Amino acid sequence: MRRFLGVIAMVVLLTTPAWAQSTDAVVATTLDNGLRVLLLEDHRSPIVSFQMWYRVGSRNERPGATGIAHFLEHMMFKGTPTYGPRQFAQLVEQNGGQDNAFTSQDVTSYYVNIAADKIDLVIDLEADRMQNLLLDAREINSEREVVIEERRTRTEDDPGGFLGEEVSALAFKNHAYGHPIIGWMEDLKRITPEEIRAFYQTYYVPNNATLVAVGAFKASDVLTKIRTRFGKIPKGAAPPAVLPVEPVQNGERRVVVKKEAQLPIVYLGYHVPNQQSADAPALELLSTILSSGRASRLYRRLVHERQLALEAGGDYSYFAFDPPLFWFWGTPMPGQTPETMEKALLEEMERLRNERVTDEELTRARNQTEAAFVFQEDSVHRRAALLARFELIGGYAGKDKFLERLRAVTPDDLQRVARAYFADDKKNVGVLIPRP
Amino acid sequence: MMPGERLARAGRIVVLLVMAILLAGQPAAAAGPIAHREVLANGIVLLVAERPAVPIVAVRAYSRAGAVLDPPDRAGLAGLTGSLLTRGTARRSGPELDSAIEFVGGSLEAAAGRDGMSVSLAVLKRDVALGLDLMAEVLLSPTFPEAEFKRKVAQTQAAIKRSEEDPGTVAGRALARLVFPGHPYATPAEGTVESVGRITRDDVVQFHRAQVRPDTTIIAVVGAVTVAEARREILARFGGWARPASPPPSVAEAAAGGPPKEERIKKDLTQATVMFGRQAIRQTDPDYFPLAVASYVLGGGSASRLYGRVRDEGGLAYAVYAYPNPARYGASFAVSAATRTAEVPKVIDIVRDEMARMGREPVGDRELTLAKDYLIGSFPLRLDTSGKVADFIVSVEQQGLGLDYADRYKERIARVTAADVQRVAAKFLAPNSYNRVVVGALP
Repeated sequence: MRRFLGVIAMVVLLTTPAWAQSTDAVVATTLDNGLRVLLLEDHRSPIVSFQMWYRVGSRNERPGATGIAHFLEHMMFKGTPTYGPRQFAQLVEQNGGQDNAFTSQDVTSYYVNIAADKIDLVIDLEADRMQNLLLDAREINSEREVVIEERRTRTEDDPGGFLGEEVSALAFKNHAYGHPIIGWMEDLKRITPEEIRAFYQTYYVPNNATLVAVGAFKASDVLTKIRTRFGKIPKGAAPPAVLPVEPVQNGERRVVVKKEAQLPIVYLGYHVPNQQSADAPALELLSTILSSGRASRLYRRLVHERQLALEAGGDYSYFAFDPPLFWFWGTPMPGQTPETMEKALLEEMERLRNERVTDEELTRARNQTEAAFVFQEDSVHRRAALLARFELIGGYAGKDKFLERLRAVTPDDLQRVARAYFADDKKNVGVLIPRP
Repeated sequence: MMPGERLARAGRIVVLLVMAILLAGQPAAAAGPIAHREVLANGIVLLVAERPAVPIVAVRAYSRAGAVLDPPDRAGLAGLTGSLLTRGTARRSGPELDSAIEFVGGSLEAAAGRDGMSVSLAVLKRDVALGLDLMAEVLLSPTFPEAEFKRKVAQTQAAIKRSEEDPGTVAGRALARLVFPGHPYATPAEGTVESVGRITRDDVVQFHRAQVRPDTTIIAVVGAVTVAEARREILARFGGWARPASPPPSVAEAAAGGPPKEERIKKDLTQATVMFGRQAIRQTDPDYFPLAVASYVLGGGSASRLYGRVRDEGGLAYAVYAYPNPARYGASFAVSAATRTAEVPKVIDIVRDEMARMGREPVGDRELTLAKDYLIGSFPLRLDTSGKVADFIVSVEQQGLGLDYADRYKERIARVTAADVQRVAAKFLAPNSYNRVVVGALP
């Protein structure tokens, strides 16, 4: 369930930003040690979502130590001198709470959803593991095997995960977005406890973290407790900046892999700018127009009308810290070839470059985005996560301006952006051929 | 699908089991009934929960028209019928339905599972009239256009074929065959490539006509809506739906399974999936509550025994869990883990050992308290959105547990003793009574 819900939440977040309520009620402050704190009272249910977001992900990793950010995330549940191994989970569960964490290319995020009157416990646990993690060598080596099993589940034995890794590695020559979040198998086997400790000390400092809590509490009381508990943690050195810039792609790149699978898969990836660019709102809308729902272009054309694909879609990561890939994918129906699938996807790129999207498509995409943000307001967990996402790309108040940015986009913008980024000689193509 | 985010801990629950677990692991709500309930003249059970804060409405229409009613040689008929509800009505084509709901940023989905067929609607409050119009159309006047039928058959067959890539799905299907021999639960709700290929459009039309009926339908309306509004809007659209003269079909309860068996399925994978399963009990059995506690102690959370020995200490698996899986006509209990091929014997030994230990010795006070406190205390988290509330009240109603089930659950769990857990575990967790499936690169 955790995994299932996590994936759903991610999809919604990444594909449909926009909102219902303004962020006026957010209590925001930065402690002297640099910890950023966002608190929002929400008294509908007697619960709280308490989230710690660290500005560290696979983009901060160096070659040879890929996967270390995610490995460390696992170790965050392995104890401190005060709360030994497994006590974090035990304490949360015996207090009726649920917790989990995820690592992305840009961030590592931890959450506890729990009865609001248990928030003191969570503040204590999170402050404790921000500075006192044991990182015992024996525990690290045992958890290494768990991470390797996770990689087997998600990559080695999953055709889609396997191909995605290959296409990323092909698309990025210089930037760390080219290596997998979970890390290459060889690195997972090699990474030492010393490296994990150094990584922890570098990135798990208050000035590299954002605390977000949404729920049934009094913000001023909670802020006092946070100051008391987190305020004691010394400010760390500023973590090193991520320097690599991905060079312009010169010519198409292609990878073909053969693997045990039932159906082929085709991926296309194009380099696009992130949200700092004026083109980002248009890219976000294109993502919705192309792949959100059964009226979207890729579903309507490739799945419904032409019956070429079992599924087809596209995805843009609006919240990426650095310029990401805009992904497209299709799974051909039995009897259809990957060549046909790729051609059909490319025809949709061509159509975007040559024809303006209709007003109906644009309005529908805006409406879908706006409604999705209202739906997110129903969950304190999702409210908190969305505030954090905007905070990490420049400020939580950006949430209020996002819709405005989207409303300003015209069909001409969409066409211009498609021409700029979805050029035929800029594509990264991945094809998975099932091995019988 | 895309390079995404990596979770620290795998889900413990397979997607198909979400509702079962919701019931399995759920204690009580706040005081007062969780929803208003009334039975309309034509037999529809209407459930309404007001949640005024966010201007959205979630609606579920659930009919007892699941795969258990599939004719033996037409497995997948309910599933196909469900997925075709939104593909055309007397007023609109499938693409017109899609455009209408998506233009207002809403969603309208239909599908069938083992026990029932459901239509799910999510809309902003301002669009609730449109949403309910569409919902009524797809439920009451679907036309099952021939072209859509052919398309959906091909898509369903392709999806079944692709699902063979997922070792958990493969193992789960094999386990269901072993646990429920001779019962419809042995057959996958989506059918097989062959059985779906035998279904005709006429089968679908007949299935809808015969099995989707008001007297086995529950409609739950949750969100920014009052009971009076909900009643008025539902009556306006579903009040005239005529109840058939014949009684609803009956379905046999699952008979006891045969002697436990093992099945090994070879796949070229780096990891092997191991699943244990046998029949167990539903929530109507008083022993269900000690079993829920036993399940949590054994493999329910990251403080559980299996998580500790298999994952934390052994480094043998990313995902390992135990769960009860109650359904309307039978229940099962399962334990599942995925490990590197070479360690399969070791994981099987640990799982069997821990299952046996549950029945051999009483659980410690600390473990017992933790499990009970979690099962009782985490309840509000499972009902924190309108969609979750709608799913929960439909599930409670369709399993006949009563809208006060949440409160009773809390009381029953609170009363469970270590002796109860041991007694029930000796009965339902004895490893020799379990079927076993292993999927992987086996020798």
